[in-house]
Amino acid sequence: MSESRPSRVDPATPIDPITVEVLGSAFASIAEEMGEALVRASYSTNIKERRDCSTALFDTKGNTLCQAEHIPMHLGSFIGILPHILKRHPAAGMAPGDVFVGNDAYEGGGTHLPDIVLAEPIFVDGTMVAWAVNLAHHADFADRGHAHIYQEGLRIPPIRLYRAGALVNDVLELILLNCQVPRERLSDLRAQMAANRLGVERMQGLCAKYGTATVLAAGDALQDYAERKMRAGIAAIPDGTYSFADRFDAPEIDGELAMGCTITVAGDAMRLHFDSPPQARAGINCTYTALLSAVYYAVKTVIDPTILPNAGLTRPLTVTAPAGTVLNCTHPAAVNGRLSACQRVVDLIHGALARVVPDRVIAACNGACYSVTFAGTHPATGELWVYLETIGGGSGARATKDGLDGVHVHLTNTSNLPVESLELEYPLTLLRYELVDGSGGAGRHRGGMGLRRVYRAEADCRVRVDGTRMLSAPWGLLGGEAGGMGGYATSPGMVPLDHGNGGMTGGDVITITTPGAGGYGHVE
Amino acid sequence: MAWRIGVDSGGTFTDVCLFDDATGRIEVWKVPSTPDDPSRGIAGGIAEGIARVGAVPAEVGYFGHGTTVATNALIQHRGAKTGLITTDGFRDLLEIGRQKRPDLYDLQADKPATLVERSMRLEVAERVLHTGAVETPLDIAAVRRAVATLKAAGAQAVAVSFLYGFVRPEHEQAVLRILAEDFPDAFACAGHEVAPEFREYERLSTAVVNAYLGPVMRGYIQLLAQRLADLGIAAAPHLTQSNGGVIGFGAAARLPVRTVLSGPSTGVVGAQAVGRLAGLDNLITFDMGGTSTDVALLANGESRLASEAVVHGYPIKAPMLDIHTVGAGGGSIAYVDSGGLLKVGPRSAGASPGPVCYALGSTEPTVTDANVVLQTLNPHYLLGGRMAVRQDLAQAAIAGLAGRLGMDGMATAQGILAVVTANMAKAIRVISVQRGHDPRDYTLVAFGGAGPLHAARLARELDIARILVPRSPGILCAMGLLLTDLRADFATTRLIPLGAAALPAISEVFDGLAIRAQQWFSEEGIAPDARRATRTVDMRYAGQNYELPVALPDGPVTAASLDTLAEGFATAHQRMYGFVAEGETVQLVTFRVESTGRVRKAAFQPRRERGADASAAVIGTREVWLPEAGGFVACPIYDREKLDAGNRIAGPAIVEQMDATTVILPGMTGRVEPYLNLILEAS
Repeated sequence: MSESRPSRVDPATPIDPITVEVLGSAFASIAEEMGEALVRASYSTNIKERRDCSTALFDTKGNTLCQAEHIPMHLGSFIGILPHILKRHPAAGMAPGDVFVGNDAYEGGGTHLPDIVLAEPIFVDGTMVAWAVNLAHHADFADRGHAHIYQEGLRIPPIRLYRAGALVNDVLELILLNCQVPRERLSDLRAQMAANRLGVERMQGLCAKYGTATVLAAGDALQDYAERKMRAGIAAIPDGTYSFADRFDAPEIDGELAMGCTITVAGDAMRLHFDSPPQARAGINCTYTALLSAVYYAVKTVIDPTILPNAGLTRPLTVTAPAGTVLNCTHPAAVNGRLSACQRVVDLIHGALARVVPDRVIAACNGACYSVTFAGTHPATGELWVYLETIGGGSGARATKDGLDGVHVHLTNTSNLPVESLELEYPLTLLRYELVDGSGGAGRHRGGMGLRRVYRAEADCRVRVDGTRMLSAPWGLLGGEAGGMGGYATSPGMVPLDHGNGGMTGGDVITITTPGAGGYGHVE
Repeated sequence: MAWRIGVDSGGTFTDVCLFDDATGRIEVWKVPSTPDDPSRGIAGGIAEGIARVGAVPAEVGYFGHGTTVATNALIQHRGAKTGLITTDGFRDLLEIGRQKRPDLYDLQADKPATLVERSMRLEVAERVLHTGAVETPLDIAAVRRAVATLKAAGAQAVAVSFLYGFVRPEHEQAVLRILAEDFPDAFACAGHEVAPEFREYERLSTAVVNAYLGPVMRGYIQLLAQRLADLGIAAAPHLTQSNGGVIGFGAAARLPVRTVLSGPSTGVVGAQAVGRLAGLDNLITFDMGGTSTDVALLANGESRLASEAVVHGYPIKAPMLDIHTVGAGGGSIAYVDSGGLLKVGPRSAGASPGPVCYALGSTEPTVTDANVVLQTLNPHYLLGGRMAVRQDLAQAAIAGLAGRLGMDGMATAQGILAVVTANMAKAIRVISVQRGHDPRDYTLVAFGGAGPLHAARLARELDIARILVPRSPGILCAMGLLLTDLRADFATTRLIPLGAAALPAISEVFDGLAIRAQQWFSEEGIAPDARRATRTVDMRYAGQNYELPVALPDGPVTAASLDTLAEGFATAHQRMYGFVAEGETVQLVTFRVESTGRVRKAAFQPRRERGADASAAVIGTREVWLPEAGGFVACPIYDREKLDAGNRIAGPAIVEQMDATTVILPGMTGRVEPYLNLILEAS
């Protein structure tokens, strides 16, 4: 690989802090422009309305240069992809116009199968200089089971979807036949292609303007910069070892799982270790990269929310968890619902650091990303339909103010689907959408309130509810009380859901209630 | 009836622009604003201005006004106590919004305050389905109870917004009737009137913002109209809207939500008019002030009209010029962050204490300080000599930054400009490349107090070949008011697949809109030959959720119209996203009619060109730091007032005037065109 490696930046390439800042703005512009193009050209509601997608530029070593993420969880779905591409496909054999597609959690560096990544190498004067990469959550692979990853959808290792600009139709057809809503998949993949094409053109333009060596040197300098800021922030936290433990539940599993973390701060570096039970035969497990995204997110919120989301910020952190456990699962564990466990990782980190920097952490949030998925055959068109909605909840109270009500917290931040859009596209009616009174934990500052969303089915369909904090309440901090728990209820006459799964017939009603959040400080 | 008056009322100054139709004479008068009651400062400014030019109020034939009253009430949360009546089960929608939190990583960030507190958001039983069918009829008794509750709670305004109110407005109309009967003092408005388009949260938010601003704007307009009448001005007053057009006071009082971008849109209109005079119609406007900068793009002389935007945190569905604002201006503070990089803004030194060089006690260097150190700005005084500055203080402050960066002072000062230029370039990329336009095809129009100072470097960063600096960059907004047409936009949402079967529906929808437009023309008293209406349809592929506007020329809707729409959509989609999805169903979504009432505008007179020699305007030389030339270079200083049409200036050079300083870089030439605009181009 050494001979195919793009020309390394001459370490002597002089680059001043101002050029770095200027090129940093340019990278951010490119990633944002890719993101806007992806959202606007896409078809499926999950991307076009809920913005469940992210875009990024990577250097040729696989480090993130810049990303326009709409959802912090995507940090993890990105970081793994390039090493896996390069492991399978020698860089020497790559050409302009090659586009790789992949989604696998074990062979593709992803975190769950619906997140399909498209990656395109960027060439300048015949040399590979960077990568344009984007990810979109395709709301498909529904109603399949989560005993192991083979049930969860089509596993796609990183392979070429385009070879030198020409579509590899065999690959596309294989993917589409495995999807329930192939028309949406095709259109969303087109939007993903368009986004990367923009990234390639803009990056080539930037290299033409500033010189490739300067652009690459700025990319390296920006990573060093993020690292310096991270180290400066960690160094300001007193050295020591801080631990926290919590419990985790999910509709798919019976009972609760114990989870714990131990954080060691030593100088300007931080070690984080996580303990959890052996991986489960359910879609609640996290791959190591999913764990990393949760850790990077949580530490960034505490240290300095303005640190650039590039690979530099990860350097001062060491993250460990025993392999084969829920928080560091191995093949063939199912991973679709990894987000709930990852949200609990954030709570663990905030809980541990509350001992030393109580004013920079917040009380436990709703701790989840409640999701409800409906799937069926549309009575009007006879076509299969899948509708995924994620529902926010309370956000934890803060040292000086109340928590936010009815928002997405921590690793997720997707929009809801407008009622007037939802009812037009799917045979469902939304009866209520409101804050849950009393769900914000009391305290000097109140925790945020959870949400209630009530759906009526207008035709037969399958339904699946995912979430957590149905058995344990989101804790308060420094004397603040716990927030309300989450749950779901079905209308009389409807067969109760089994581990969150069930069927509905026209007229059935399901109510989903998301947790509130913990309060902060004693009630005065 | 010779004088036309434009008044731009900002936070600090009120600019009055007077134009004599008969002679072409133009006078500008600047007075301090009176934020507690802006109409006082305006009336005073007009009285002084009129006296200064020796006119009498009865001779004023036109009065145009741009105001920040609505936007300030929104920013400072000084709107009316507002109530909401909405569909059972959905009163929290106003607070939930799209359920996103305001910042991904900053856990201390807050959502903008909800404009109607929870106890004032009342639900009534009613439900319309997406088909327009009524599932639950409106509970009239519940409406009366809700109205009584809001009245007792002291509401001054009430917004009404139901699910699918845009499809079937009867329920909202019934509530408005009950409000008129039981609570006539309240300012009332409904979603279907304010924004008859789909997406319930954005429509609700628009209705609420409109109600919240209603009493404030109504009070302001009444006060101002009275003061104008007291002055003896008989001309009907007009107000600019966010769409860049003006509208009568009556209409503005009913729909204040349409005036939230009144201020910045006036600048865009001014730039558009100046560009038209100079024969340029592909423009990027660059309005850089003390704390923020507004940029917009005009293609073929027209700004893209956004049908929706988030203004100060609140989604608003109303036609607005597509203006992008960045929190960086001359007063923005430069600092070195914990990672060792130089950052500029968004914190600003404001007017007080202001930049370090003002010597009012600040020690944090700003963009203005960098310019004073580099001597692109006069190192001794600003505002045409009215204000002394201390270069030594600015140098000391920047030396502090330089020490932390490990760079020398001059490179640091230059670096501040480079960083702020990069921020501006990023903003311009949002309105150009992100919308499918190449900035190299455009002329940069630089105005505002700091625009002309930074335009040359910004243009180089974006490879823009031409810059236009208007003759009075600091008062372009007030001047724009003399050049603005009346304008109102009408829209309705109706989802129809594009195809032959759509023809009757398209005709019907546009006929309905045309009737509303005609009513408006009559209300505003616009003569038939001054009326213009253009039609557009927002279109998408069935399944997409963002639409692209496609123009539909005048005339009967026929099969050929369908082809026009189909081709227009394919072209727009190709440009925006780089592909056309052959065979996919195309959907018509929102139908719009944009009505313009042409007003007679100030007719500026071109001057005859006097020859290239500009030496008569040279008032001195100054050493200016130009890294392109390797350091300080002696640059001639020109007095803008002394430049005449046809004059040429080779860069490097500095052009000073009371309200702005223009930098001409080495390799650029400036020329003064017949309307006294300064055009900078590569030599």
